[in-house]
Amino acid sequence: MANTFGNSYGLTTLCPLINGVHDEQSSYDKITRRRIQRLEEDAGSPFARIPNTYFARLFILNDVFFQQGNDVARDHLKSKYLVFTSNFHGELEPYLTGMWNNAEADIRSLWQYAVAFDKVQNADDFVAYIKKCQLTTTLFFNGSNDVALKEQLKALYVKQAFSEFALAHQGQDATALRTAFNNFMAEIKLDDLNQPSWTPGQTRLQNMY
Amino acid sequence: MNRPLDLYDIQGNICKGYGRFGFPKARYFFLEFHDYAGGRNFLQQLIPLITTAEPWTGRKQPDQSDKPAATTNIAFTYHGLCALGLPRRSLDGFPQEFKMGMKPRAAILGDNGPSSPQHWDPVWQGDTVHAWVSINGQTQETVEQRFADIEALMQSVQGSVSIRPGHKGPDGKMLPYQDASAVFENGKATPKEHFGFVDGIGNPYFEGCGNDPERLPGRGKLNRDGKWEPLATGEFILGHIDEAKEYPLAPEPHLLARNGTFMVYRKLHENVKTFNDYVDNMAKDFDGSRELLMAKFSGRWPDNGAPLVLAPDDKAKAELDQKMAELQKKAAEGDACAIGQLKALEEQWINFTYNDDKHGAKCPIGAHIRRTNTRGSLETEKGAFDRPGALVDRRRLMRRGLPYGGHDELTNDDSEQGIIFMCISASIERQFEFVQQQWVNYSNDFHLGNDRDVLIGANNGKLTDKHIVQVNPKEGKAPFFCTHMPRMVETRGGDYFFIPSITALDMIAQGIIDPT
Amino acid sequence: MSNVAGKAYGMNVLTPLRWWTALWQKLIFWVVVKTFPYFLKGLLTLSLIHYARWTIINRWSFPRLDKSQPKEKLSYSYMLFESNFNGSWDQYIDSFSFAIPSGLDMFWRWNIKYPKSIPLHDFYNYIRFNQIESGHYYNAYPLAAANDVKTAQKLFTNLGTFQQNIANLNDEEFLQAYQQFLADNQHSLGSMGESPLMSASHELVQEHQHANIMMARAAGKQEA
Repeated sequence: MANTFGNSYGLTTLCPLINGVHDEQSSYDKITRRRIQRLEEDAGSPFARIPNTYFARLFILNDVFFQQGNDVARDHLKSKYLVFTSNFHGELEPYLTGMWNNAEADIRSLWQYAVAFDKVQNADDFVAYIKKCQLTTTLFFNGSNDVALKEQLKALYVKQAFSEFALAHQGQDATALRTAFNNFMAEIKLDDLNQPSWTPGQTRLQNMY
Repeated sequence: MNRPLDLYDIQGNICKGYGRFGFPKARYFFLEFHDYAGGRNFLQQLIPLITTAEPWTGRKQPDQSDKPAATTNIAFTYHGLCALGLPRRSLDGFPQEFKMGMKPRAAILGDNGPSSPQHWDPVWQGDTVHAWVSINGQTQETVEQRFADIEALMQSVQGSVSIRPGHKGPDGKMLPYQDASAVFENGKATPKEHFGFVDGIGNPYFEGCGNDPERLPGRGKLNRDGKWEPLATGEFILGHIDEAKEYPLAPEPHLLARNGTFMVYRKLHENVKTFNDYVDNMAKDFDGSRELLMAKFSGRWPDNGAPLVLAPDDKAKAELDQKMAELQKKAAEGDACAIGQLKALEEQWINFTYNDDKHGAKCPIGAHIRRTNTRGSLETEKGAFDRPGALVDRRRLMRRGLPYGGHDELTNDDSEQGIIFMCISASIERQFEFVQQQWVNYSNDFHLGNDRDVLIGANNGKLTDKHIVQVNPKEGKAPFFCTHMPRMVETRGGDYFFIPSITALDMIAQGIIDPT
Repeated sequence: MSNVAGKAYGMNVLTPLRWWTALWQKLIFWVVVKTFPYFLKGLLTLSLIHYARWTIINRWSFPRLDKSQPKEKLSYSYMLFESNFNGSWDQYIDSFSFAIPSGLDMFWRWNIKYPKSIPLHDFYNYIRFNQIESGHYYNAYPLAAANDVKTAQKLFTNLGTFQQNIANLNDEEFLQAYQQFLADNQHSLGSMGESPLMSASHELVQEHQHANIMMARAAGKQEA
């Protein structure tokens, strides 16, 4: 029973939505779903701005929905839930604070019709709110690693850059290779996690050679 | 255990690679049906010519009387089954990829750039390829005779069935058929293709296929104890239980599907000059012979198909050749011991694993045969999976087909030569498409990122279009990178076909397929 | 709506289980964690998953934030499975259920109507039927599979060490060390690139989304 695996955190939340209809036109879950579906993707996603987010998702849980039978009971939910889940690096509170600080407008729009969200005014309120909606993960499997996102992205950049370097300099003599290697290392700045690097949500590659 | 198969109900090309049975010549042509009744009438008359999978007992004897001079088989596209008036419900039951056909799957198959469908031979433009007919012959004459017989049948139904023209032939001329032939050397048919590799060695062995059980090791599925067992029939033929212990997805009614299967047809043009230039260029920097480099592409030595795991370098290959020559000489003199040893040695062409080659220092992890038939090599931690071949037993393909073009002409990129690639499997999506997309044009399962197959991958000559020739890290040598890999093979056409059983063919011809 | 973000497929599966068997299921997961990595060795070797989790929601523990929100009255507890893996479910179901059938059965065995992972189509349909599509799915590295992330981390670390080790070498020694470095890291040098297309349906959606963006841009220009 753990939300964490090393330094990686698995956050699962079910945020109840207000039952009812807005302006006698559209139910709140529908409005919320539409907002979710119209979010920009990849680098344009609000999650790309939220530090240390590896993966995140949003969907509406309308009801429970499973095959019936004589031996199966019928279940229905009384509320619809905005399900927000995230895999990130680090502790929960700083993550959620970072989320609020970097994507407040999106959060306000997405959670606008969540039950009792009208009382959320600042980062602390948001942290408290999300914790109330949080479910404890039963089993968390990390098939990747748990380092900070900036380091993951830098490592990916370095993998790409170094692979290309190795290909482009195959068969060079010792002196030329060493010079090229030194220049290459100066260019990729191993110690600088900020740049050059991949950006969160990046979908296109720029080749070095 | 499945029941024995009714080989007389199964079309012969499913169970037999005709090339191996002494049919080095082939003609493939494609039909269009113009009306239901005439089309069905034609099929009824064609059925007696269809070759089944019946065993040819005389194959090893001098008297080969039960082997026909020519074979004939037929298969249909989804549009073809529509044109023959199959009920909507039966049509709906076919798998999605078959219904779509090959062209709309281009992005999945890597048929982009020069392989894009708009560049395919004219026969493939539009949706009017309805059926594939194949003739295999012991000689070109027998092929042409059978072709003339079928043309005569078509004339008898007066315009209800026509042959779709538009196969690009030698000199750029358009032909109404696609001829194919084994590559001949000194008047003898060889198992080679135009790049110079021995091809078609690793075909799977399945339960009930009727092949010699001696062919099982290396061709079936690998058990934990290192022994081989036949793959389930349902991996290759519908209406039989498959490796997932269920019947493969198939249309209704059962009689339509049972003993039938699916086939992929692809005309794969080989850019022979590009290939030769690339090998020459890479060989300059490669530590080893040109032949070894070619073997590092494919996983087998080009001249005789010996796998790299058996002879990983030039020295080992020379020793193997010498040993083979000695054994062959003694065997020819009737030395029983040598005959046995030779047979055991030849068995190692197919009966091997990559267990002793985790790094790919012998056979590169991205080599063609290691990609397309991974054997147990994806179980990188021993005992991690239920079976060592857990990731490959559902991805096997039965390769059919022959090379085309190229004989006695100067082979360059522009001349017409390549392979008519055909493969048979119970699921085109799970078997052919998966292998083509995930293993040929992608490498995540091999932990090699987006690297592609050297020989048939959709490469574009970029620096990062590469193949890593791995080394044993203890030897202190760097791995060799084959970079800037060009497009060696281009798709020039093809489609997805359903090969019905004789029973289903007869019912289609009568128009009595009824899923009610 | 999309379950696809670059090389990752986001799966949500919500399945019911009896409240008391939910406790058993929790116990099983606890055993899995304690005996790690024995049970998870298959999953690790498959190496298709970035992160996955199983969350059991007891029937009494659906979040209730305000008196105005009606109380849930449920017969069952629920298990939410959430996975970020490489390739689509259609493409890789065979790999999962052939590599680790008993593992999968262990994870779902107490769930109502769970059919077992073999035969495969019942299992496929079970997951499919209980799957909930994501409305928004974000992946920080659409161009990287879990294998890419892991090999990148290795290479990144090793390159740092290598840089330190070569400081005092002459050119010839450097060349030697460099070649050894390539040999030691030869399995981390796969080319990076975009995801293979997960399905023909997704290809269609990508085209539509691209058209939507183009139309929105054109409309924006007109307004300006």
